[in-house]
Amino acid sequence: MLLARRFLFSVAFSIGLLSSSSILCAQQEVPVIAAASDLQFAVSEIAANFAAETGMQVRLSMGSTGNFARQIRQGAPFEIFMAADEQFIADLHAEGHTLDAGDLYAVGRVVIMVPDGSPLQPDESLDYLAAMLAEGRITRFAIANPDHAPYGMRAREALVTKGIWDDVQPFLVLGENVSQAAQFALSGNAEGGIIAYSLALAPEVASRGTHALIPEDWHEPLRQRMVLLNGAGPVAEAFYAYLKRPAAREIMARYGFVLPEG
Amino acid sequence: MDWTALWLSLRLAAWTVAILLPVSILMGRYLAYRQFRGKGLVEALVMLPLVLPPTVFGFYLLVAFGRASPLGEFWQEMFGTQLVFSFEGLVVASVIFNLPFAIQPAQRGFEAIPVEVREAASCCGMSPLASLWRIELPLAWPGVMTAMVLTFAHTLGEFGIVLMVGGSIPGETQTIAIAIYDRVQAFDDRSAAIMSAVLVGISLFTIAITFWLSARVGRRLS
Amino acid sequence: MGLEVTVRAEAPIPLDVAFRVEPGELLALVGHSGSGKTTLLRTMAGLWRPQFAQVRVNGSTWLDTAGGVDLPPHRRRVGVVFQSYALFPHMTALQNVMAAMDRADCAEAQRILDLVNLHGLAARKPAELSGGQQQRVAVARALARRPRALLLDEPFSAVDHATREKLYGEIIALRAHLAMPVVLVTHDVNEAQLLADRMVVIERGSVVREGTTAEVMADPEALRAMGIREVAAMLPAMIAEHGADGLTRLEAATGPLFLPTVDGAVGASVRVRIMAHEVILSRDRPVGLSAQNILPGRITRIVPGRGPAVTVHVAIGADEILSRITRRAAEQMQLEPGQGVHAILKTMSVARHHVAKAPATAADRLQGE
Repeated sequence: MLLARRFLFSVAFSIGLLSSSSILCAQQEVPVIAAASDLQFAVSEIAANFAAETGMQVRLSMGSTGNFARQIRQGAPFEIFMAADEQFIADLHAEGHTLDAGDLYAVGRVVIMVPDGSPLQPDESLDYLAAMLAEGRITRFAIANPDHAPYGMRAREALVTKGIWDDVQPFLVLGENVSQAAQFALSGNAEGGIIAYSLALAPEVASRGTHALIPEDWHEPLRQRMVLLNGAGPVAEAFYAYLKRPAAREIMARYGFVLPEG
Repeated sequence: MDWTALWLSLRLAAWTVAILLPVSILMGRYLAYRQFRGKGLVEALVMLPLVLPPTVFGFYLLVAFGRASPLGEFWQEMFGTQLVFSFEGLVVASVIFNLPFAIQPAQRGFEAIPVEVREAASCCGMSPLASLWRIELPLAWPGVMTAMVLTFAHTLGEFGIVLMVGGSIPGETQTIAIAIYDRVQAFDDRSAAIMSAVLVGISLFTIAITFWLSARVGRRLS
Repeated sequence: MGLEVTVRAEAPIPLDVAFRVEPGELLALVGHSGSGKTTLLRTMAGLWRPQFAQVRVNGSTWLDTAGGVDLPPHRRRVGVVFQSYALFPHMTALQNVMAAMDRADCAEAQRILDLVNLHGLAARKPAELSGGQQQRVAVARALARRPRALLLDEPFSAVDHATREKLYGEIIALRAHLAMPVVLVTHDVNEAQLLADRMVVIERGSVVREGTTAEVMADPEALRAMGIREVAAMLPAMIAEHGADGLTRLEAATGPLFLPTVDGAVGASVRVRIMAHEVILSRDRPVGLSAQNILPGRITRIVPGRGPAVTVHVAIGADEILSRITRRAAEQMQLEPGQGVHAILKTMSVARHHVAKAPATAADRLQGE
């Protein structure tokens, strides 16, 4: 008797839980934007303004550019892709996943970032880093994964240019994306790292350490391109247009992005 | 506190439990009662998700029902959407990787029923179905409940496979475990801390229920 | 009519057995562990299918391997009392009994529990019952099924001696209400002799001896197969008087029998198991002996055994007891069938558990239904 009663209760509870999925079906109307992790703070702010001005919502998914490109090829339901490197966009366009060739929306920079209390000093020439490496005082240094994160690739190029790539390699901690690299760099378990300029400028990050810009000519440029993907709906198109307008650009500039002309 | 993510996780866990409940009872019972050639292999296969690294598992699931696979294409034709990067895909993955949690405790529950009690049920005129409902389930239900509780809790915490098969799409595949990961990367420690505390609370509750149920198994059959 | 069983198999143990049990009859399947008796019971119940077997009850076929008929236990009307009782642990005694009914009838279940002397214990779960009480619930549950055949698998092996004796008496009393064939599987020959009308002795899967209890218990070959070296006979008697000095006087067919106090009212019928090696024979009525029991009788036959002994069958009225003496003595006394002798038995040589109530007669049983 008791068993039957418990069973019926569980069934009723489950039905209630499962049928609530219909409530969330409305989510289908809200497009998902795949954005490279360096845009963590910038695009969140832009999306919030977009919602305040137009009443329309977007959902943001942050991650590494390379990872998103793979997922898009596998049919992930994103409607806009904001990549940290235009090559990924070009490839996707050639394969027919995008509506067009997209737009250059920013040029990014990398910085060397050290947490408060670290023996490492941030200097744009990376001399301090080289010296500490030579003295064997580096235990961990964080960058994004060069295999699929553009900011990681640029970090590697910069270190190669400086000539210390081989020395630092044994101590590298690879973040799955540049946000995670920033996390590692500031965690106190690493002496520092090379991360996105846009992240270093965010209050949450800036308050925990200091940074220095690494010279642009030490690495390939971070030409960040965005594109509307196949199946993008009207809300996505509206947001895409919004991203190119002055209000959005001003936010981007605040986060250290160099904007293309026009 | 990301309520969408928590609700999504609860829904995922609920669907997984709903689908696995009959599987748990029927498979657990079958494995408990029957000896057959190849039984060891079946039990090992059921155990596999426990020992296989989640990323390996996620990889094989992607191969099995990704866009390029027969199953993925079939799904695309039937429903017009992808199985990967969707909630439905998470349910499929979740059902598979929870098999050991769903089947093994239930199997133990049924194994604990003395053979003669089942034989007595049959001699009392009960058909196998009547025996299941009136004798076996009342005696084995703590095992089945343990299986469902473990399945529920494990689904809430699963990360690697969900990330590989579902990505991190808010409202669709971003479970609470992934949301925590996401908040940490966004330097939003406060949200991450709150959500983690909620998950810890649920886990402790699960452990308490499992212990209580185990005690009941003992008392039931003595 | 009744229960007909034929079984032949080679694996996992060789079996070649056939027997029948009439309605109202209690047949004991006796043998050592591994002899195949439990396999036979499971075959009758539907829990086991041998290579070749036929089980028919009252004309309907439960199992016929040749004909492709194999009813599962829940489709047979069979009552089984398992060795471990196998009561449903989550149900009360009453619920256990009702579980076997086609339509749950609370009043009827209570009635059956009363029948097995479990009045007042209906609400207890098996864990709250003693071994003897659990056994009674198991019997009640088997009866609640309204079975066409009742099978008992060593139902007394799990209880102590004193409880066992009490249960024997209850089973014997219960038989008045049982119209179906009853099969009792046991390794205890004493138990079989006390309870059964007929016996089938099984050794290594084959029938060693089959017949009425009296016939089998008098057959040394059969008894050797059962590991019993001593033959015995059951002597019916009636309780006449309970003495103040701790002795009960019973009246057998040809004279009084004195035994240590026997349970029972004056006028009750009992059966006394008398071991052949405890019986001394005398041509003339002896005087000056300490033995209190001297029963006149007539020799019906003398069966030589192995070694130095012979078994003398002595008729006591219409009943029979056995005496096992040396061949030398038989020759010295020139004993021959037809002669009158006196059977001498010490009061103290009859064990307490060798006295059992007499079962109801066939006429009583039919009337009771």
